[in-house]
Amino acid sequence: MPDVDHTPFIENIPAYAIGALDSGDVSALESHLTTCASCRTELAEYRTLSESMLTAVPPKQPSAALRKRLQSRLPGAQKTSGSQVTWSFSRLALGLAVIALLVLNLLSFAQLRQVQSQQARLLKQVENAQVALAMLSSPNIQTVLISGENVSGTILLDKDRNQALLIVGDIPALADDQIYQIWLVKPDGGRDSAGWFRPESGQSYTTKTISSTQTFSNYLGLGVTVEPAGGSDAPTGQRIFKVDF
Amino acid sequence: MIGPDDSKLIAQVAQGNERAFLAIYDRYASRVHGLTLHILGDPMLAEEATQDTFLKLWSRARQYLAEQGPLLPWLLTIARRVALDRLRLEARRPMLSDTNDPDDAWQILPDSESMSEESRWRSLYFAVQALHPDQRKVINLAYYQGLSQSEIAEVLGWPLGTVKTRLRTAMEKLREDWNNK
Repeated sequence: MPDVDHTPFIENIPAYAIGALDSGDVSALESHLTTCASCRTELAEYRTLSESMLTAVPPKQPSAALRKRLQSRLPGAQKTSGSQVTWSFSRLALGLAVIALLVLNLLSFAQLRQVQSQQARLLKQVENAQVALAMLSSPNIQTVLISGENVSGTILLDKDRNQALLIVGDIPALADDQIYQIWLVKPDGGRDSAGWFRPESGQSYTTKTISSTQTFSNYLGLGVTVEPAGGSDAPTGQRIFKVDF
Repeated sequence: MIGPDDSKLIAQVAQGNERAFLAIYDRYASRVHGLTLHILGDPMLAEEATQDTFLKLWSRARQYLAEQGPLLPWLLTIARRVALDRLRLEARRPMLSDTNDPDDAWQILPDSESMSEESRWRSLYFAVQALHPDQRKVINLAYYQGLSQSEIAEVLGWPLGTVKTRLRTAMEKLREDWNNK
Protein backbone atom coordinates (compact mmCIF):
# COMPACT_ATOMS: atom_id res chain seq x y z
CA MET A 1 0.00 0.00 0.00
CA PRO A 2 1.44 3.42 -0.88
CA ASP A 3 2.36 5.78 1.94
CA VAL A 4 -0.71 7.59 3.17
CA ASP A 5 -0.87 10.59 5.41
CA HIS A 6 -3.09 9.25 8.18
CA THR A 7 -3.32 12.50 10.06
CA PRO A 8 -6.56 13.89 8.59
CA PHE A 9 -8.23 10.51 8.89
CA ILE A 10 -7.08 9.74 12.42
CA GLU A 11 -8.20 13.18 13.52
CA ASN A 12 -11.69 12.45 12.23
CA ILE A 13 -12.06 9.04 13.84
CA PRO A 14 -13.25 10.22 17.31
CA ALA A 15 -16.02 12.32 15.75
CA TYR A 16 -16.94 9.49 13.39
CA ALA A 17 -17.15 7.01 16.27
CA ILE A 18 -19.80 9.08 18.02
CA GLY A 19 -21.67 10.02 14.85
CA ALA A 20 -20.61 13.68 14.83
CA LEU A 21 -18.49 13.73 11.70
CA ASP A 22 -19.99 15.91 8.99
CA SER A 23 -21.42 13.93 6.11
CA GLY A 24 -18.97 15.49 3.68
CA ASP A 25 -16.04 13.88 5.51
CA VAL A 26 -17.65 10.51 6.17
CA SER A 27 -17.22 8.91 2.75
CA ALA A 28 -13.51 9.79 2.57
CA LEU A 29 -12.87 8.30 5.99
CA GLU A 30 -14.91 5.17 5.28
CA SER A 31 -13.01 4.68 2.06
CA HIS A 32 -9.71 5.01 3.91
CA LEU A 33 -10.84 2.56 6.59
CA THR A 34 -11.30 -0.20 4.02
CA THR A 35 -7.56 -0.15 3.33
CA CYS A 36 -6.04 0.86 6.68
CA ALA A 37 -5.89 -1.68 9.50
CA SER A 38 -4.36 0.74 12.01
CA CYS A 39 -7.19 3.22 11.55
CA ARG A 40 -9.72 0.41 11.92
CA THR A 41 -8.08 -0.51 15.23
CA GLU A 42 -8.23 3.11 16.27
CA LEU A 43 -11.93 3.25 15.36
CA ALA A 44 -12.67 0.05 17.29
CA GLU A 45 -11.21 1.60 20.45
CA TYR A 46 -13.27 4.74 20.07
CA ARG A 47 -16.40 2.70 19.37
CA THR A 48 -15.85 0.83 22.62
CA LEU A 49 -15.55 4.16 24.37
CA SER A 50 -18.65 5.44 22.59
CA GLU A 51 -20.65 2.42 23.74
CA SER A 52 -19.41 2.87 27.28
CA MET A 53 -20.49 6.50 27.26
CA LEU A 54 -24.08 5.29 27.00
CA THR A 55 -23.71 3.87 30.48
CA ALA A 56 -21.94 6.94 31.86
CA VAL A 57 -25.18 8.72 32.64
CA PRO A 58 -26.76 8.85 36.08
CA PRO A 59 -29.67 6.43 36.45
CA LYS A 60 -33.14 7.80 37.07
CA GLN A 61 -36.17 5.75 38.06
CA PRO A 62 -39.22 6.37 35.84
CA SER A 63 -42.70 6.63 37.35
CA ALA A 64 -44.41 3.49 38.61
CA ALA A 65 -47.20 4.11 36.11
CA LEU A 66 -44.84 3.43 33.22
CA ARG A 67 -44.42 -0.20 34.22
CA LYS A 68 -48.19 -0.66 34.27
CA ARG A 69 -48.58 1.05 30.91
CA LEU A 70 -45.96 -1.19 29.37
CA GLN A 71 -47.68 -4.27 30.74
CA SER A 72 -50.94 -3.24 29.16
CA ARG A 73 -49.30 -2.57 25.80
CA LEU A 74 -47.31 -5.75 25.22
CA PRO A 75 -48.72 -7.33 22.10
CA GLY A 76 -48.92 -11.13 22.06
CA ALA A 77 -47.64 -11.72 25.59
CA GLN A 78 -47.31 -15.36 26.62
CA LYS A 79 -50.16 -15.26 29.10
CA THR A 80 -52.64 -15.03 26.26
CA SER A 81 -52.42 -15.63 22.55
CA GLY A 82 -52.89 -12.79 20.13
CA SER A 83 -56.34 -13.84 19.02
CA GLN A 84 -57.47 -14.26 22.60
CA VAL A 85 -56.22 -10.79 23.44
CA THR A 86 -58.12 -9.24 20.58
CA TRP A 87 -61.22 -11.17 21.48
CA SER A 88 -61.05 -10.25 25.14
CA PHE A 89 -60.49 -6.59 24.31
CA SER A 90 -63.57 -6.66 22.12
CA ARG A 91 -65.54 -8.33 24.89
CA LEU A 92 -64.36 -5.73 27.36
CA ALA A 93 -65.25 -2.91 25.02
CA LEU A 94 -68.64 -4.48 24.33
CA GLY A 95 -69.27 -4.90 28.05
CA LEU A 96 -68.30 -1.33 28.77
CA ALA A 97 -70.46 -0.06 25.96
CA VAL A 98 -73.49 -2.09 27.03
CA ILE A 99 -73.11 -1.03 30.64
CA ALA A 100 -72.68 2.56 29.57
CA LEU A 101 -75.74 2.27 27.33
CA LEU A 102 -77.91 0.81 30.06
CA VAL A 103 -76.78 3.36 32.62
CA LEU A 104 -77.20 6.19 30.21
CA ASN A 105 -80.64 5.06 29.09
CA LEU A 106 -81.96 4.56 32.62
CA LEU A 107 -80.70 7.93 33.69
CA SER A 108 -81.96 9.49 30.51
CA PHE A 109 -85.56 8.45 31.17
CA ALA A 110 -85.45 9.91 34.66
CA GLN A 111 -83.72 13.11 33.77
CA LEU A 112 -85.50 13.82 30.52
CA ARG A 113 -88.61 14.56 32.56
CA GLN A 114 -86.87 17.14 34.67
CA VAL A 115 -85.14 19.79 32.62
CA GLN A 116 -84.83 20.35 28.94
CA SER A 117 -81.19 21.30 29.13
CA GLN A 118 -80.40 17.90 30.57
CA GLN A 119 -82.38 16.27 27.82
CA ALA A 120 -80.04 17.42 25.12
CA ARG A 121 -77.02 16.16 27.00
CA LEU A 122 -78.53 12.77 27.72
CA LEU A 123 -79.65 12.31 24.16
CA LYS A 124 -76.06 12.89 23.18
CA GLN A 125 -74.98 10.20 25.60
CA VAL A 126 -77.45 7.76 24.12
CA GLU A 127 -76.20 8.68 20.70
CA ASN A 128 -72.67 7.93 21.85
CA ALA A 129 -73.71 4.57 23.18
CA GLN A 130 -75.48 3.82 19.91
CA VAL A 131 -72.37 4.81 18.07
CA ALA A 132 -70.47 2.40 20.31
CA LEU A 133 -72.78 -0.46 19.50
CA ALA A 134 -72.73 0.36 15.80
CA MET A 135 -68.96 0.52 15.84
CA LEU A 136 -68.69 -2.79 17.63
CA SER A 137 -70.57 -4.40 14.76
CA SER A 138 -67.78 -3.40 12.42
CA PRO A 139 -65.34 -6.23 11.62
CA ASN A 140 -62.39 -3.85 11.64
CA ILE A 141 -63.00 -2.21 14.99
CA GLN A 142 -59.83 -1.40 16.93
CA THR A 143 -59.96 -1.13 20.69
CA VAL A 144 -57.30 0.87 22.46
CA LEU A 145 -57.11 0.47 26.22
CA ILE A 146 -56.54 3.55 28.35
CA SER A 147 -54.55 3.10 31.52
CA GLY A 148 -53.56 6.22 33.38
CA GLU A 149 -52.95 7.02 37.02
CA ASN A 150 -56.47 8.27 37.66
CA VAL A 151 -58.34 7.07 34.65
CA SER A 152 -59.11 3.92 32.73
CA GLY A 153 -61.22 3.19 29.72
CA THR A 154 -61.30 2.31 26.08
CA ILE A 155 -61.19 3.99 22.71
CA LEU A 156 -63.19 2.35 19.95
CA LEU A 157 -61.59 3.20 16.63
CA ASP A 158 -62.91 2.41 13.19
CA LYS A 159 -60.42 3.80 10.72
CA ASP A 160 -62.44 2.53 7.75
CA ARG A 161 -65.43 4.67 8.72
CA ASN A 162 -63.29 7.36 10.35
CA GLN A 163 -65.21 7.04 13.60
CA ALA A 164 -63.93 6.96 17.15
CA LEU A 165 -65.56 6.85 20.57
CA LEU A 166 -63.91 7.57 23.89
CA ILE A 167 -65.21 5.74 26.98
CA VAL A 168 -63.50 6.70 30.24
CA GLY A 169 -64.27 5.64 33.77
CA ASP A 170 -63.73 7.41 37.07
CA ILE A 171 -62.17 10.46 35.48
CA PRO A 172 -61.68 13.16 38.14
CA ALA A 173 -64.17 16.01 38.38
CA LEU A 174 -63.06 19.43 37.16
CA ALA A 175 -63.51 23.00 38.32
CA ASP A 176 -66.28 24.90 36.55
CA ASP A 177 -63.77 26.81 34.43
CA GLN A 178 -62.00 23.71 33.15
CA ILE A 179 -62.63 21.04 30.53
CA TYR A 180 -60.93 17.92 29.25
CA GLN A 181 -59.66 18.53 25.73
CA ILE A 182 -58.92 15.71 23.28
CA TRP A 183 -55.84 15.93 21.05
CA LEU A 184 -54.91 13.84 18.05
CA VAL A 185 -51.15 13.32 17.77
CA LYS A 186 -49.65 14.05 14.35
CA PRO A 187 -46.52 12.28 13.03
CA ASP A 188 -44.54 15.50 13.38
CA GLY A 189 -45.44 15.68 17.07
CA GLY A 190 -48.05 18.39 16.62
CA ARG A 191 -51.53 18.13 18.09
CA ASP A 192 -54.94 18.67 16.50
CA SER A 193 -57.89 19.38 18.77
CA ALA A 194 -60.61 16.75 18.50
CA GLY A 195 -63.17 18.21 20.85
CA TRP A 196 -63.62 18.46 24.58
CA PHE A 197 -65.78 17.05 27.32
CA ARG A 198 -66.58 17.24 31.00
CA PRO A 199 -67.09 14.26 33.32
CA GLU A 200 -70.69 13.15 33.41
CA SER A 201 -71.76 13.65 36.99
CA GLY A 202 -73.22 10.71 38.83
CA GLN A 203 -72.07 8.18 36.27
CA SER A 204 -69.25 5.69 36.27
CA TYR A 205 -68.38 6.30 32.65
CA THR A 206 -68.13 9.28 30.39
CA THR A 207 -68.46 8.80 26.65
CA LYS A 208 -67.46 11.17 23.88
CA THR A 209 -67.50 10.78 20.14
CA ILE A 210 -64.25 11.98 18.63
CA SER A 211 -64.42 14.05 15.51
CA SER A 212 -61.71 14.73 13.01
CA THR A 213 -61.65 16.46 9.66
CA GLN A 214 -58.78 14.19 8.64
CA THR A 215 -58.68 10.42 8.55
CA PHE A 216 -57.55 8.85 11.83
CA SER A 217 -54.90 6.97 9.87
CA ASN A 218 -53.05 10.28 9.66
CA TYR A 219 -52.52 10.29 13.43
CA LEU A 220 -50.26 8.32 15.72
CA GLY A 221 -52.36 8.47 18.84
CA LEU A 222 -54.61 10.46 21.11
CA GLY A 223 -54.20 12.35 24.35
CA VAL A 224 -56.33 14.28 26.81
CA THR A 225 -55.29 17.33 28.81
CA VAL A 226 -57.00 19.65 31.24
CA GLU A 227 -57.64 23.02 29.60
CA PRO A 228 -59.50 26.23 30.39
CA ALA A 229 -63.21 26.23 29.53
CA GLY A 230 -63.64 26.96 25.85
CA GLY A 231 -60.59 24.94 24.90
CA SER A 232 -57.06 25.79 23.83
CA ASP A 233 -55.29 25.93 20.48
CA ALA A 234 -52.57 23.62 21.78
CA PRO A 235 -52.09 21.56 24.95
CA THR A 236 -51.28 23.76 27.92
CA GLY A 237 -52.52 21.87 30.96
CA GLN A 238 -51.94 18.62 32.79
CA ARG A 239 -51.91 15.50 30.64
CA ILE A 240 -54.45 12.91 31.82
CA PHE A 241 -53.37 10.16 29.46
CA LYS A 242 -51.92 9.49 26.03
CA VAL A 243 -52.33 6.34 23.94
CA ASP A 244 -50.96 5.26 20.59
CA PHE A 245 -53.19 3.89 17.85
CA MET B 1 -23.20 -12.59 36.99
CA ILE B 2 -25.52 -10.16 35.19
CA GLY B 3 -24.59 -11.31 31.68
CA PRO B 4 -25.82 -14.92 31.73
CA ASP B 5 -29.03 -13.97 33.48
CA ASP B 6 -29.67 -11.29 30.88
CA SER B 7 -29.12 -13.79 28.09
CA LYS B 8 -31.65 -16.18 29.56
CA LEU B 9 -34.16 -13.43 30.16
CA ILE B 10 -33.87 -11.96 26.69
CA ALA B 11 -34.27 -15.41 25.16
CA GLN B 12 -37.49 -15.80 27.14
CA VAL B 13 -38.63 -12.35 26.06
CA ALA B 14 -38.10 -13.44 22.45
CA GLN B 15 -40.62 -16.20 23.18
CA GLY B 16 -43.15 -13.65 24.41
CA ASN B 17 -42.56 -14.15 28.14
CA GLU B 18 -43.96 -11.09 29.89
CA ARG B 19 -42.44 -11.97 33.26
CA ALA B 20 -38.94 -12.07 31.78
CA PHE B 21 -39.62 -8.75 30.09
CA LEU B 22 -40.60 -7.17 33.39
CA ALA B 23 -37.51 -8.60 35.06
CA ILE B 24 -35.36 -6.84 32.47
CA TYR B 25 -37.43 -3.71 32.88
CA ASP B 26 -36.97 -3.73 36.66
CA ARG B 27 -33.26 -4.24 36.21
CA TYR B 28 -32.57 -1.55 33.62
CA ALA B 29 -35.47 0.93 33.59
CA SER B 30 -33.51 3.45 35.65
CA ARG B 31 -30.52 3.20 33.29
CA VAL B 32 -32.66 3.67 30.18
CA HIS B 33 -34.68 6.47 31.74
CA GLY B 34 -31.52 8.17 32.99
CA LEU B 35 -30.20 8.25 29.42
CA THR B 36 -33.44 9.42 27.79
CA LEU B 37 -33.84 12.12 30.44
CA HIS B 38 -30.23 13.21 29.95
CA ILE B 39 -30.83 13.56 26.21
CA LEU B 40 -34.32 15.04 26.22
CA GLY B 41 -34.26 17.03 29.47
CA ASP B 42 -38.05 16.76 29.79
CA PRO B 43 -39.48 14.13 32.17
CA MET B 44 -42.61 13.51 30.13
CA LEU B 45 -40.81 13.16 26.81
CA ALA B 46 -38.16 11.03 28.50
CA GLU B 47 -40.77 8.68 29.90
CA GLU B 48 -42.33 8.28 26.47
CA ALA B 49 -38.91 7.53 25.01
CA THR B 50 -38.24 5.02 27.78
CA GLN B 51 -41.56 3.36 27.04
CA ASP B 52 -40.79 3.21 23.31
CA THR B 53 -37.38 1.74 24.06
CA PHE B 54 -38.81 -1.14 26.06
CA LEU B 55 -41.53 -1.75 23.47
CA LYS B 56 -38.74 -2.04 20.88
CA LEU B 57 -36.93 -4.44 23.21
CA TRP B 58 -40.10 -6.54 23.28
CA SER B 59 -40.49 -6.57 19.51
CA ARG B 60 -36.79 -6.94 18.69
CA ALA B 61 -35.65 -9.39 21.36
CA ARG B 62 -34.95 -12.01 18.70
CA GLN B 63 -32.43 -9.70 17.07
CA TYR B 64 -30.25 -9.57 20.15
CA LEU B 65 -27.10 -11.68 19.87
CA ALA B 66 -25.36 -12.32 23.18
CA GLU B 67 -22.02 -12.99 21.48
CA GLN B 68 -21.99 -9.41 20.20
CA GLY B 69 -21.97 -7.95 23.70
CA PRO B 70 -23.93 -7.45 26.91
CA LEU B 71 -27.61 -6.56 26.89
CA LEU B 72 -27.39 -3.17 28.59
CA PRO B 73 -25.30 -1.36 25.92
CA TRP B 74 -27.57 -2.84 23.24
CA LEU B 75 -30.62 -1.57 25.11
CA LEU B 76 -29.06 1.84 25.69
CA THR B 77 -28.12 2.10 22.02
CA ILE B 78 -31.81 1.69 21.20
CA ALA B 79 -32.70 4.24 23.89
CA ARG B 80 -30.24 6.81 22.53
CA ARG B 81 -31.60 6.40 19.01
CA VAL B 82 -35.21 6.69 20.21
CA ALA B 83 -34.41 9.77 22.28
CA LEU B 84 -32.45 11.50 19.50
CA ASP B 85 -35.27 10.77 17.04
CA ARG B 86 -37.72 12.30 19.49
CA LEU B 87 -35.41 15.28 19.94
CA ARG B 88 -35.44 15.91 16.19
CA LEU B 89 -39.19 15.35 16.03
CA GLU B 90 -39.80 17.91 18.73
CA ALA B 91 -37.30 20.25 17.02
CA ARG B 92 -36.05 21.16 20.45
CA ARG B 93 -33.16 23.50 20.92
CA PRO B 94 -30.11 21.70 22.22
CA MET B 95 -29.43 21.99 25.91
CA LEU B 96 -26.26 23.98 26.44
CA SER B 97 -25.91 23.55 30.19
CA ASP B 98 -25.20 20.54 32.36
CA THR B 99 -28.22 19.64 34.41
CA ASN B 100 -26.88 16.74 36.42
CA ASP B 101 -25.77 16.98 39.97
CA PRO B 102 -22.75 14.71 40.29
CA ASP B 103 -23.09 14.62 44.06
CA ASP B 104 -26.29 12.64 44.06
CA ALA B 105 -26.28 11.24 40.55
CA TRP B 106 -24.94 7.83 41.43
CA GLN B 107 -26.31 7.35 44.89
CA ILE B 108 -28.43 4.40 43.91
CA LEU B 109 -25.51 2.53 42.42
CA PRO B 110 -23.36 0.54 44.80
CA ASP B 111 -19.79 1.76 45.05
CA SER B 112 -18.38 -1.72 45.38
CA GLU B 113 -15.25 -3.20 43.91
CA SER B 114 -17.22 -6.34 43.19
CA MET B 115 -19.36 -4.28 40.81
CA SER B 116 -16.38 -3.57 38.57
CA GLU B 117 -18.42 -2.66 35.49
CA GLU B 118 -20.56 -0.24 37.47
CA SER B 119 -17.42 1.22 38.94
CA ARG B 120 -15.93 1.80 35.48
CA TRP B 121 -19.11 3.46 34.23
CA ARG B 122 -19.16 5.69 37.25
CA SER B 123 -15.54 6.61 36.60
CA LEU B 124 -16.32 7.48 32.99
CA TYR B 125 -19.16 9.69 34.13
CA PHE B 126 -16.82 11.59 36.39
CA ALA B 127 -14.22 11.71 33.62
CA VAL B 128 -16.78 13.48 31.43
CA GLN B 129 -17.58 15.86 34.27
CA ALA B 130 -13.85 16.53 34.75
CA LEU B 131 -13.37 17.69 31.16
CA HIS B 132 -12.81 21.36 30.50
CA PRO B 133 -16.29 22.96 30.33
CA ASP B 134 -15.88 23.79 26.63
CA GLN B 135 -14.87 20.22 25.85
CA ARG B 136 -17.74 18.83 27.92
CA LYS B 137 -20.15 21.12 26.09
CA VAL B 138 -18.99 19.76 22.73
CA ILE B 139 -19.24 16.16 23.92
CA ASN B 140 -22.75 16.71 25.24
CA LEU B 141 -23.94 18.31 22.02
CA ALA B 142 -22.33 15.69 19.81
CA TYR B 143 -23.03 12.53 21.73
CA TYR B 144 -26.09 13.28 23.82
CA GLN B 145 -27.79 15.76 21.48
CA GLY B 146 -26.86 14.13 18.17
CA LEU B 147 -25.35 17.22 16.52
CA SER B 148 -22.60 17.14 13.90
CA GLN B 149 -19.46 19.21 14.30
CA SER B 150 -20.77 21.84 11.85
CA GLU B 151 -24.06 22.05 13.72
CA ILE B 152 -22.20 22.48 17.01
CA ALA B 153 -20.10 25.26 15.50
CA GLU B 154 -23.29 26.99 14.41
CA VAL B 155 -25.04 26.54 17.75
CA LEU B 156 -22.11 27.74 19.82
CA GLY B 157 -20.86 30.33 17.36
CA TRP B 158 -17.40 28.82 17.39
CA PRO B 159 -15.12 28.25 14.38
CA LEU B 160 -15.49 24.73 13.00
CA GLY B 161 -11.79 24.08 13.59
CA THR B 162 -12.19 24.92 17.27
CA VAL B 163 -15.08 22.49 17.60
CA LYS B 164 -13.10 19.72 15.91
CA THR B 165 -10.08 20.29 18.13
CA ARG B 166 -12.10 20.36 21.34
CA LEU B 167 -14.08 17.26 20.43
CA ARG B 168 -10.97 15.32 19.45
CA THR B 169 -9.06 16.41 22.55
CA ALA B 170 -11.99 15.49 24.79
CA MET B 171 -12.38 12.06 23.21
CA GLU B 172 -8.65 11.39 23.52
CA LYS B 173 -8.81 12.33 27.19
CA LEU B 174 -11.81 10.08 27.82
CA ARG B 175 -10.17 7.19 26.02
CA GLU B 176 -7.07 7.60 28.10
CA ASP B 177 -9.08 7.66 31.31
CA TRP B 178 -11.17 4.68 30.20
CA ASN B 179 -8.15 2.59 29.29
CA ASN B 180 -6.40 3.41 32.57
CA LYS B 181 -9.25 2.22 34.77
